[in-house]
Amino acid sequence: MKPRFATVLSWLYALILAVPLYYLAISAFKTNIEIFTKPFALPSRWLWQNLAEAWETARLGPALLNSVLVSGVAIVLTLVLAVPAAYALARTGNRLARVVTGTFSAGFLIPPFAALIPTVVLAIELGLYGTREFQMLFLPASALPLSVLLLTQFMLTVPPALAESAAMEGAGHWTLLTRVYVPIAMPGVVSVAILQLLTFWNEYLFALTITGTAPDVRTVQVALPTLLSDATDLGVLAAGTVLTVSPVYVAYALLNRRMQEALTAGAVKG
Amino acid sequence: MPRSRLLWLTVPSLLWFAVFSVGPLAAMFVIATLKWKGLLYEPTYIGLDNVTKVFQDPTFHAAVRNSLIQVAVAIPVMIPLAFMLGYHLNTRPRGYRLLSVLYFSPGLISISTTGMIFYGVLSPNGGVNGLLGAVGLDSLATAWLADPATALPALIAVDLWRGVGWTAVLFAARLASLDGEVLEAAQIDGAGRFRTMWRVAFPMVKDYVRTLTMLQFLWTLFTSAALILLLTKGGPGTSSTTLSYLVYAKAFSQRDLGYSQVVGVVLLLVGVAGMVLIRALFRTKEESR
Repeated sequence: MKPRFATVLSWLYALILAVPLYYLAISAFKTNIEIFTKPFALPSRWLWQNLAEAWETARLGPALLNSVLVSGVAIVLTLVLAVPAAYALARTGNRLARVVTGTFSAGFLIPPFAALIPTVVLAIELGLYGTREFQMLFLPASALPLSVLLLTQFMLTVPPALAESAAMEGAGHWTLLTRVYVPIAMPGVVSVAILQLLTFWNEYLFALTITGTAPDVRTVQVALPTLLSDATDLGVLAAGTVLTVSPVYVAYALLNRRMQEALTAGAVKG
Repeated sequence: MPRSRLLWLTVPSLLWFAVFSVGPLAAMFVIATLKWKGLLYEPTYIGLDNVTKVFQDPTFHAAVRNSLIQVAVAIPVMIPLAFMLGYHLNTRPRGYRLLSVLYFSPGLISISTTGMIFYGVLSPNGGVNGLLGAVGLDSLATAWLADPATALPALIAVDLWRGVGWTAVLFAARLASLDGEVLEAAQIDGAGRFRTMWRVAFPMVKDYVRTLTMLQFLWTLFTSAALILLLTKGGPGTSSTTLSYLVYAKAFSQRDLGYSQVVGVVLLLVGVAGMVLIRALFRTKEESR
């Protein structure tokens, strides 16, 4: 039977995706010479010390901790800012609410890169240049438009009658938010958290230009490219890359369905 | 607290957004009028002199050309291909799980790891040249990132490597939310697969196609700086300098912040113009049907 065009195309592209990943994974265990002479063969001897060398040279340990710290604080701040805003927007239908929603919709389209240089100036003015703290404050701002919009969508699924009856029984906004809205919108909160955590974890250019490359503050994304030099050991570089992507792949292996939902929701709602 | 005052709860996030996103964006227009030799110096106001300087600079012309080539090649290849692959994924073909995991994976990988992967793949001793050697095409092997003829195409190829699968997954998710019966009915009516895809499914998700086209356009246009910084530094010469990279390079390695921000404003204008164009393209098709 003749395979269909779509089938061939889809597997061809899958192959194009898979080959660099395979090449990366096996290079991580080879010497420079073996990478060059037998690029696609399995390592003749598995060079586990590449991993250790990458870990030491790029100081990935502290860098991973910095990434955890920055992403962790940033995600908490994002939710603290976005959840009440989404609650307010879901419960108010007037013109002002539409203006606020419109502002966030427009903001979602602005690529953060557009304002990179003025943001560096802002960091200097605030005395936070070269610190992790600035990233913790800045990353939520870039994540807010999408987070607020997504959370509002989820909070709109709360039946108004339920909110009314709870309010009748004397529930204040705090009770309504924490006992009714957040529990019902929990899938949305989780989606936003996963989506933005991944975005924060992967952020590179702002971390590079504002937090900088000092080993005690740099994130893992900034630490990894420090393995490049005039005489780059491709094996060690590949090993460092494997170490850097593995936390994300472990997370994906554990929650792949949730993660896929979260990431597609981000773009579908946009 | 009455309902109308509830909107106060949006003030902290609006303020946050204003300080860290809108403020810097507005400041760009101010910096564009300054003579400012790096962040540690005092700036002076020179008005539109930076604009004249930028528009007379051959590097800027090269950057405009490269950015236009980049989006004009990447987007028209990426969107239709991703749509077809997404449509195929949505039919749950054999091996669906594996395909969807693979297509999804570039979405998980950061720009700096992508850069490092392709640094290895495209280096003179790297995977592509190894592959060419293995099939006896050594003559085609080159230093992909250091050859003026291949540096920009290589970067565009990486954009496609990253973008197509991920966009396909997004299309598949959207198509899955459609009423499957319409598509089935079209197939039963004897419309071929290809026809069903473009004549039935495509119009149903056209708004979404437009949105994704805009997003991919903006991402490609604005975010190329990071990958270029990691892989080619805009070179050799200016052969892979895009507008986005020029904004970065002028500010951080060539210490001319005014120049950098004039290019930033140009980039923003190109972004807006592209969005208007994409909107118009999708509208005309609708009216002509």
